[in-house]
Amino acid sequence: MSDTVTSVDADLVAMMRQVFLDAREKVEEGPLVAGEDLWSELDELGLVRLTGDEDSGGSGAGWAEAAELLRAAAGAGVRVPLGEHDLLACRLLADAGLPADDARRTVAELDAAGTGLAVPWASTAGRIVLLVPRDGGYAVADVAAGDVRITPGTGASEEARDTVYAAPAVTAGATPVEHRVVAAYRLRAALVRGVQVSAALDRILELTVEHVRDRVQFGRPLARFQAVQHLVADIACEAELARAATGAAVELMAVAGPDDPRTAFAVAVARSCAGHAASVAVRNAHQALGAIGTTREHRLHEYTRAALAWRNEFGAVREWDRRVAAAAADAGGSGLWPLVVD
Amino acid sequence: MDVTRPPRTDSLAALRTEVREFVADHTDAAGVDSWLVGWDEEFTRELAARRWLGMTVPVEYGGHGRTHLERFAVTEELLAAGAPVAAHWIADRQIVPSLLRYGTEEQKRRYLPAIAAGTCFFGIGMSEPDSGSDLASVRTRATRADGGWTITGTKVWTSGAHRADAFICLARSEPLDPAHRHAGLSQFLVDLRSPGVRIRPIHSMDGSHHFNEVHLDGVHVPDDMVFGTLGEGWTQVTSELAFERSGPERFLSTFPLLAECVEQTRLGTLEPSDDTGRLVARVAGLHRMSSDVAGRLERGERADVAAAVVKVLGTSTEGDVAEHVDLLGGGARTQPERLRRFTESALVQRPGFTLRGGTSEVLRGVIARELGLR
Repeated sequence: MSDTVTSVDADLVAMMRQVFLDAREKVEEGPLVAGEDLWSELDELGLVRLTGDEDSGGSGAGWAEAAELLRAAAGAGVRVPLGEHDLLACRLLADAGLPADDARRTVAELDAAGTGLAVPWASTAGRIVLLVPRDGGYAVADVAAGDVRITPGTGASEEARDTVYAAPAVTAGATPVEHRVVAAYRLRAALVRGVQVSAALDRILELTVEHVRDRVQFGRPLARFQAVQHLVADIACEAELARAATGAAVELMAVAGPDDPRTAFAVAVARSCAGHAASVAVRNAHQALGAIGTTREHRLHEYTRAALAWRNEFGAVREWDRRVAAAAADAGGSGLWPLVVD
Repeated sequence: MDVTRPPRTDSLAALRTEVREFVADHTDAAGVDSWLVGWDEEFTRELAARRWLGMTVPVEYGGHGRTHLERFAVTEELLAAGAPVAAHWIADRQIVPSLLRYGTEEQKRRYLPAIAAGTCFFGIGMSEPDSGSDLASVRTRATRADGGWTITGTKVWTSGAHRADAFICLARSEPLDPAHRHAGLSQFLVDLRSPGVRIRPIHSMDGSHHFNEVHLDGVHVPDDMVFGTLGEGWTQVTSELAFERSGPERFLSTFPLLAECVEQTRLGTLEPSDDTGRLVARVAGLHRMSSDVAGRLERGERADVAAAVVKVLGTSTEGDVAEHVDLLGGGARTQPERLRRFTESALVQRPGFTLRGGTSEVLRGVIARELGLR
């Protein structure tokens, strides 16, 4: 690891947050699922192709900035396929040596029969980057959304999670890619969700703190009860762990890249930590907020349901535990510490 | 998101490698919770010879003028290997920063070179029979005497007092003012060989002897052994808590057991378990958090809450490691000796993890206060 220190300009982060908070305030009930208006606004601000090369219309930023953007949207209760478009679809096209244009994109990973399940945002995309099995490896095709059959669905995060079917003719001309391109895509996808979970947990903590300070029972704010304080403190601890672990993974993704085995390990660690942190944060927040927290009216569900949904996308929590365990077993007793620290 | 991290310079990586190679030659001495139970003065002197004691002490005081991050790296490597570091632990972790901050020139010249040489060991004289978490309620009294102070009272849970040379004792030097409980407390450097000092063992549940009760019966402490400013004892003991709470000892006490668990899983002795992965992931996350706090402290930033978070999460996680391996049957008589011994030891030491250095309940209160809840 070099001595590179990645930190994001505070003004840029503040600007990102404000865009999403303003957008969210325009609707009564959340989460806000971004439409064309918000996408255009983000595009004008240079945020939809944040990590693209500047000579191909991108903003030339890196993973650190992209993670802040994901956090800003998730933390404001705004659903928008920025990660899917920029970090996953456009990046996968670039890795495959294929050109991209201004269309909004997502990635659909298809099985041998041409079907992809729970594809994020397919029903709102202009074009879809298909990742298909081919001759024991994989190939990539960039197709118009109209060229595939999309059966819309909605996940617990209230984002589009659609079924995509591509007929063999649609993917016949797909470009073969090395396995490392596929592995890198999956790792980026996993990290996108990890960052989103972490941002949701931070917001859950804020909402819980606000509630227990305002809500009076037995003549005093809930915050004055030690049992409640401990519920909230444990949310803070777990949210901090999720933030630290995802931050470490983002940094390795930025500095060392997805091919470095340390990045793969860090992403697995981040997903395990964030996934289990969500258990504590969601349980304790709902306990502290009481019945109001279970309603549509209260905003808590915009973060708790999303955190629980996101933590199992691109790999369930237990699967990430298992990957960390497998990496540890490979390293053995004497290799465990270097695996953790180097 | 704060994605800054302390720079991992090449020299830091080289330092880690150096320590790792050294401890690899001493694996027989390794154990669980080695910073409390692994008292090995010969090992301590070997570390001193390699300039890994008193690292942050300036060269003029016999130290090595290294950064906190360098000390952090060395400490992590030693703890991860379960190296026997208990003899110098308190002196190196706690007394060095306190002396550098509050010690007189004479006190620094007297103690720092000896600590860096691995020839002077310290204890902590804070807790009392009636003062555990509520430290401000200490009853040990310091009264004015000719040329110094007379101290009378009882300190408990003083680890290593039966082998240490001195301890820093927190005592009430002015009568208790119920409206200002934290006022009127002072710290004193007490030679544990002084007349009037009586040390009685407190045996742990497995019969081992790490803790002591230290009785002070009219012990004379000369004026030049008053530590810091009279009446400022509370500020002094709480000012270094971030170092004490966020250090790698708060999540690595059972790392040797976790490594042994992984090794026995690799060999097929223990069944593979997803929870092994969950715990390794938590330790990796805690390493990151603890490193971040070390970086902030190095830059002189405040990190009390982050430190409390590391301690709450870290100490529960290191206890969970003991529980996890025990559930897998790691402590059974039929298991390989090292695995069984580490499991047994971890189970005995575990209750202390979430008590020492501030109980988890107190620390959750600290976190809650910072969140604006109290």
